[in-house]
Amino acid sequence: MTDFDALLKRSFAEAHEPADDGFVVNVTHSVAQREAGLKVRGYMQLGAVTIGAAAVSWGLYTLVGAFGQEIMASVGLEIARAHAAVSAQPDAGAAAQNFLQSMGAGLTQILLLTGVLAGGAVAYRASQD
Amino acid sequence: MASRGFTKLEEATEAALIVACQARDQAAFGELVKRRQGWARALLRRMCQNHAEADDLAQEAFIKAWDRMRDLETPAAFPGWFRRIAVTTFLMAKRRQKAVFEEITDASPLASEESTPEAAAGAKLDLEKALARLSDAERLCVTLNHGEGLSHSEIVEITGLPLGTVKSHVLRGTDKLRRLLDPDA
Repeated sequence: MTDFDALLKRSFAEAHEPADDGFVVNVTHSVAQREAGLKVRGYMQLGAVTIGAAAVSWGLYTLVGAFGQEIMASVGLEIARAHAAVSAQPDAGAAAQNFLQSMGAGLTQILLLTGVLAGGAVAYRASQD
Repeated sequence: MASRGFTKLEEATEAALIVACQARDQAAFGELVKRRQGWARALLRRMCQNHAEADDLAQEAFIKAWDRMRDLETPAAFPGWFRRIAVTTFLMAKRRQKAVFEEITDASPLASEESTPEAAAGAKLDLEKALARLSDAERLCVTLNHGEGLSHSEIVEITGLPLGTVKSHVLRGTDKLRRLLDPDA
C-alpha cells in the first residue's frame, strides 16, 4: 500500500458524519407512521373479509331457502337413478341416457352453486387487494 | 424489555438490537439508526455530494431496511446488507435523474483544471471537495473501493456495473484524487 492509499483510507475513515438527533427522530417517526398505517390496513382487510364472508353466507342461505327443496329432491332423484342403474343389468345406452338426464336436471343447481362460490371467491380476492 | 435480551437500549449489542428489530421493536430500531446514521449519511454524502439529498436517501434506506429486516439472515451481515440497500437506493435515485453510470469517457476534466489556482493548491483540498470533482460513477466506485473496502467484484455485485467499467472508474477516480490531494505525486 502506497502512502497515498493510506492517506485515502485514513481520510475516508475520518469522514463520518456527526450524530444528528433530528435525523433519528425523522426516521423513527416515519417508521411509526408506517406501522400505524399497516395496522389500519390490516383492520380494514379483516373488515372486508368479514363483510365478504357474511355476504356469501347470506347468499347461500337465500339460495337454500329458495331452492333447498328442489335441490334435495333432485339429489334424491339422482341417488335413486344411480341406485337403479347399479342394480339393473349393465346397459351402456340406458346408462348414458340416464347420465344425460341427470346432468340436465341438476345443471341449474350446479350453475347456481358455482355462481355463489365464484362470487364469494371474487369478494375474498377483492378484499385481499 | 427483558424479553428483548437486554435491559437498556444504550447497552445492547448491535446483534441484540437487530434481533429486536426483526421482532418489530421500533425503539430498538431507533437505537440502531442512532448508532449507524453517521456511517450511512457519510457514505451517501460522499456518493451524492448533496447533503440534503444524501440525508433523504439515508432516511429512505433506513425505512427500506426496517421493511426488509426479516430478510436479514444473521445480525453479523447487517453492515453489508444495509450498504447494499443504501447503494441501491442511491442508484435508483440517480436513475430517476437519468444519470449515466456505465459510460466511460477518455476526456479527463482534471487535465484542464490543474492550471487553476484552486487546483494548484490541491494539497489544501479536503476529501469531500476532491470527491466532488469526480464523475458520479467514479465517486461511487472510489467510495465503495477505498471508503468501504469493497473489492472490484463486490462492487460489481452491489452496483450491477460491468467489471471492466468498475475497474476503470476506480482507476481513473483514484488517479484524479491523487492529483487533487497529493499534487507532489
